[in-house]
Amino acid sequence: MDGHPATPGLISTRPPRWLAPVLAVAVGYYLAARLGFTFTLKPYPISTLWPPNALLVAVLLLARTRDWWWLLAAALPAHLSAELQSGVPAAMVLGWYASNCSEALIGAGLVRAFIPAPLRLHSLRNSAAFLLCVVLAAPLLSSFIDATIVRLIGFGDSPYWDLVSRRFFSNVLAELTVVPLVLTWAAAVGSGAKALKPARYVEAAALAIGLLGACLLVFEVPHSGRQTSPALFYIPLPFLLWAAVRFGPVGIATALPVMTLAAIWGTVHGLGPFVSEQPHETARDVQLFVIAVAVPLLLFAIALDERERLERDSRAQLTHLSRVATLGELSGGIAHELNQPLTAILSNAQAARSFLASKTADPELLAEILEDIITADQRAGHVIDRLRAMFKRGETHFEPLEVNVLVREVATLVHGDLTTRGVQLDLRLAERPLPVKGDRVQLEQVFLNLMMNGAEAMAACGSGDRVLTVGTLATAGKVHVNVVDHGAGFAVPPAKLFEAFYTTKPNGLGLGLSISRSIVDAHGGKLWASTRRGGGAAFLVTLPSLPKG
Amino acid sequence: MTSAAPRVAIVDDDVLVLRALDRLLRAAGLAVETFSSADEFLQSRRPAAGCVVMDLSMPGRGGLELQRALAEAADSRPIVFISGQGTVPASVQAMKAGAVDFLTKPIDEPRLLDAVRAALEKDRVLREQDAARAAITSRLLTLTERERQVLAHVVVGKLNKQIAAALGTAEKTIKVHRARMMRKMQVDSLAELVQAWTVTQPLRD
Repeated sequence: MDGHPATPGLISTRPPRWLAPVLAVAVGYYLAARLGFTFTLKPYPISTLWPPNALLVAVLLLARTRDWWWLLAAALPAHLSAELQSGVPAAMVLGWYASNCSEALIGAGLVRAFIPAPLRLHSLRNSAAFLLCVVLAAPLLSSFIDATIVRLIGFGDSPYWDLVSRRFFSNVLAELTVVPLVLTWAAAVGSGAKALKPARYVEAAALAIGLLGACLLVFEVPHSGRQTSPALFYIPLPFLLWAAVRFGPVGIATALPVMTLAAIWGTVHGLGPFVSEQPHETARDVQLFVIAVAVPLLLFAIALDERERLERDSRAQLTHLSRVATLGELSGGIAHELNQPLTAILSNAQAARSFLASKTADPELLAEILEDIITADQRAGHVIDRLRAMFKRGETHFEPLEVNVLVREVATLVHGDLTTRGVQLDLRLAERPLPVKGDRVQLEQVFLNLMMNGAEAMAACGSGDRVLTVGTLATAGKVHVNVVDHGAGFAVPPAKLFEAFYTTKPNGLGLGLSISRSIVDAHGGKLWASTRRGGGAAFLVTLPSLPKG
Repeated sequence: MTSAAPRVAIVDDDVLVLRALDRLLRAAGLAVETFSSADEFLQSRRPAAGCVVMDLSMPGRGGLELQRALAEAADSRPIVFISGQGTVPASVQAMKAGAVDFLTKPIDEPRLLDAVRAALEKDRVLREQDAARAAITSRLLTLTERERQVLAHVVVGKLNKQIAAALGTAEKTIKVHRARMMRKMQVDSLAELVQAWTVTQPLRD
């Protein structure tokens, strides 16, 4: 320090960014350690479930590698204050800190070597890495380190192999229950968990009550002394399956710790089917039971989730592909649509230059010209904005929308195409706003498809008949968009039109209408097709309207 | 005939483009009128002289249809096409049907002014020819039946003797008819007569 006062700009009144994670690690580690102590089956010093190490692994897996060191350091004060209360020699307390950190570093380090990003349990590949590195390798290797340290310090008189195996199973169980819990919840919160429907809350509550009831029934009854029926162990299983199938990885990762805590709590209090004369056997039985249930169920939930995600992805990919194909067909029209404002800008600017050169320019005229140039530029910009949005392959994003606005935007996009086809657009929009909830790009994709189909259907019509009518209308709780052409209509049953790969166009993919229908379905609406008596086809999109407020 | 300055009619469905082209041509000192659709243009009063600048693709009746409609209405105003995309078939069709030029948007000022001036010049020439044709036609109408017969023979190079034989009359009589016909047609030589007569004949390919 050179004694100069610190630059005022460097002093921040806000707490530093590292403070929250450090406090979270310290408090979490301390509480986890206290919890671990309560699961100790006296007289053996090793807890049945020791969660602090697993918590550290989870934190490291979520953090950037360069932050690991101070996150581990943050656990030290928590470790000391938790362990020193138990009257263990200071050297042993520090030794345990070292072995706990080694477990976290081995587990997280190995995973990071395979998957160089914060770990997400959303694929079987990631889950395999998790099981091998975190659940198996980390407890195994660190238990040898731990037992070696205990022997070197000379603490207690347990045989070396007993130390290794007891600590191993205790930590396997902890890794298996704590890490998925933290990782899946972090992912759910991080992805901005959507507000669930009330029915899902009711279901979750019913599941929680059922699971707790089952656990009470199995694990919290006095031990009768006679051989327990093995069938009893299966009672929580339906609820765990329920959690895995209906609530995915988060569900099972939450349900498993609940059952684990119930089983261990009962056992520690002399209740349930696991109690035996030998405390270490009792502990082993509980641990093996939970491990045997947890591994397949976790994998099952993750596999199910991965498959759903892949299906969702390929559907989104197909939707995007079809949209890009449609925009490709539209490219000539879009060039026209951009050329118009460019023409207006150039001609206006050259006119202004001529007026100025000939000294016949009055300020009012020049202001009008500039105003038109601005309008033309904004028009081109708007087309490009919409195009960019439609070309992008984004996540589905539901938001409150106004159907009239969407129809007008699509009308701008197809304007050039309709013009080159000599089609007149007759917009008959409802006067009041028509609110719906939906994905803007996807709904625009539907309207774009219907309008382009309608325009193409009229290629053979006379110029007076080439009119595309697009109307919007609200009825009780519903919003309707009607796209009507004066073409030849269609000769097949309407259902055929919506089949994938059915097309009447020489270069068509046959995806437009089938994808339009699935988009409308996903919005809780319906897409209908009908032939009009006077010739031509009518497509009707009906969407649930968004209640006000 | 009125002596009003020639006017340039612009037909484009895009109001922004329409206004911009209007200003551009006004800045060049031209008299302009604007129409935002083919129908609006067809319903307007035809000026004494001028040309048409029109967009090829418009909703409803497009540029090519409008060109056809003008031809059917015997409106000979020369046409300059402007188009967002230079589609070859459309431009060929337009030029075959007598368009002066085919410009692609965005249009550069000199190109447009050149095309418009060429169109106005073509219009002027056409109108002059029309006027000349009209004058000769009115002179033709002053000829008697016999003078017209003589003219028909003279312009294909027949001699007075041959004409007299063909019409069954004396060579002297033919000479009188011929002199009177030449006077009424206001020509001094056979060459001038043939030229005037040719103007009134329908064009052949």
